[in-house]
Amino acid sequence: MGARGGLLTASRAVTGRRPLVVILAVLLFALGALAPAHLVSEFVLRLGVEGLLLGMLALSVAFLMRQAGLVALGAASIYGGVGYLFAITMSEWDLSPTAALFAAFVIVIVYAAVLGALIVRTNPLAFMMLTLAAGEMVSHGVMLEGLRDYTSGADGLVVNFQGAIFGLQAADFASAPRFWPIAWSAAWVLGLAVYATGRSRFGAILRAVRENEERMRFSGFGTYLPRLIAFVFVNGVAAVAGLLHVLNSQFVSPESLGLSVSTNALVASLIGGAAGSIGPIAGGLFFAFAQDEFGAHGFTQLLTGVAIVVFIVLFPRGIVGGLIEAARRRTYLAPRRGEAP
Amino acid sequence: MIALLIANSLALASLLIMLSSGLALIYGLRDVINFGHGALYMLGAYLGYSIALIGGFWVALVASPILLALLGVAFEYLVLRPLRGRSHIEVALVTLGLGIILGQALIFVYGGEARGVDAPRALAGSVQVFGLSYPLYRIFLIGMGLGSCGLLALWLRFSTSGLYVRAVSQDPSVARMMGVNSDRLSLLVTSLSAAFAGVAGVLAGPYLSVDPGMDVTMIVNCLIIVVIGGTGSIAGAIVAALLFGFVQVAGSVLLPDLAAIAPYVLLMAVLLIAPRGIGRGRVLS
Repeated sequence: MGARGGLLTASRAVTGRRPLVVILAVLLFALGALAPAHLVSEFVLRLGVEGLLLGMLALSVAFLMRQAGLVALGAASIYGGVGYLFAITMSEWDLSPTAALFAAFVIVIVYAAVLGALIVRTNPLAFMMLTLAAGEMVSHGVMLEGLRDYTSGADGLVVNFQGAIFGLQAADFASAPRFWPIAWSAAWVLGLAVYATGRSRFGAILRAVRENEERMRFSGFGTYLPRLIAFVFVNGVAAVAGLLHVLNSQFVSPESLGLSVSTNALVASLIGGAAGSIGPIAGGLFFAFAQDEFGAHGFTQLLTGVAIVVFIVLFPRGIVGGLIEAARRRTYLAPRRGEAP
Repeated sequence: MIALLIANSLALASLLIMLSSGLALIYGLRDVINFGHGALYMLGAYLGYSIALIGGFWVALVASPILLALLGVAFEYLVLRPLRGRSHIEVALVTLGLGIILGQALIFVYGGEARGVDAPRALAGSVQVFGLSYPLYRIFLIGMGLGSCGLLALWLRFSTSGLYVRAVSQDPSVARMMGVNSDRLSLLVTSLSAAFAGVAGVLAGPYLSVDPGMDVTMIVNCLIIVVIGGTGSIAGAIVAALLFGFVQVAGSVLLPDLAAIAPYVLLMAVLLIAPRGIGRGRVLS
């Protein structure tokens, strides 16, 4: 009886706080979308945009790592590849920018589905190696002599687009103050989508497959399809980040496909903590500013390497994860449903 | 033409065999894929370059592997043992991070441009083999690659420690129950695998070049080989390295436009036909 009463009051306490959380979230969203453009310099805002884009990519890496136990080292091939496709479908197929966005997205999803069908059945270590190989394949692919007319090889492509996308012109996307609210909103939408997917029944199945694939098969669950869907889903998230990136920078180069971008996304999710949606995005922002600090001395990659080691060995929950953990310990909140203790 | 193709692919495969059998050895014992193996190879190459400047190629070929073996010992004591309780994925990520740090440190010391290394005078010329002229250094390289692979096979097949290594690779828990000390074996295997990376690095100098991107290129190639060969299978890795070398070399001669992605096509084809690779690797999650 006592335990039951305790449960009831606990659940009431949580539901009682929900409107407050929603109001706070809406306020934070509005404040974050509008305030920075008036408060900080354009340079800082540009870094912030970079951080948000990296954070969205980190979101995709983190979801797969946390929910499915699979580490993808090829996120950059999607992120940069969708930019190449956007440019090429516009120039070669004469598509309008909006149509090219959709075409590039669909092609990437199909690619992810085919690749995923081949590689998600392997064990997590082999998966990690295969995503690395697939990423390198794409970054070597754009350098092929035969594709030079389309990809301009090592020089990279300047992406010019005429006409509006959702009512916005190329100049709007290129300007940091006007692009910030777009990136901020996209980060929220993707963050909520990833959070909701993780909390859904689908997320629970993924985690169960991660924990014990054999037992899930014995219990009558398919284990292949959920992982394939998760793989396609995270690549969809990475593709949205990549499309925003190309709209903002209006340039794609082989560097945007390289292993270093993938490892940066991995680091961002490790820094922030891969558990929720706030961690990876905060990690992306943190990484972008840290990179600005260290990159001036040419130490960006060194920062990546050190961060991977330090965060995995010493702070496996990341900054946000660690803070939430500390707050929980203080307020004696139970771990939420669906989270590993 | 065909003979030349096969000889060239054997030369490339020799390097790949030394590196990917090292990877497969560590995986067999520790279930960890060392993503920093490419950086070890790069360190071996740069050490070889520096030592060769002072003492000549032959000194480098001995000294660089010894230094790498010592680093392997440090890697075992400072990384693999303390992280034994962590998931294999986390350890693999740590090796990835350490590899990036090592690679960046080398770029910091040696700068970003590629360095050429001359073959030693005794191996500089060409010889006539089966009626075609072939660089002596590549023949030496093939000899070293196949020789070390033969020694490795002999060790695994006929020595007691080799038997233990095979036992742990096949079934770690049963081997431990039978009293095999897998930690001591791991020390041996890790330093051996690092030393192999050192040999490969020094040998790669005069054959390829010593440049800052060599670690990523090589680790990706080795990972492809390890997957094709069946993760953890050393015999599989050797066959896969030969296959890979042939595809790479034949691709660059027959389809130069597509050569860069030929290895990936091979990988995808093998995954389609035999998702577990061609060897009898241990399938573990």
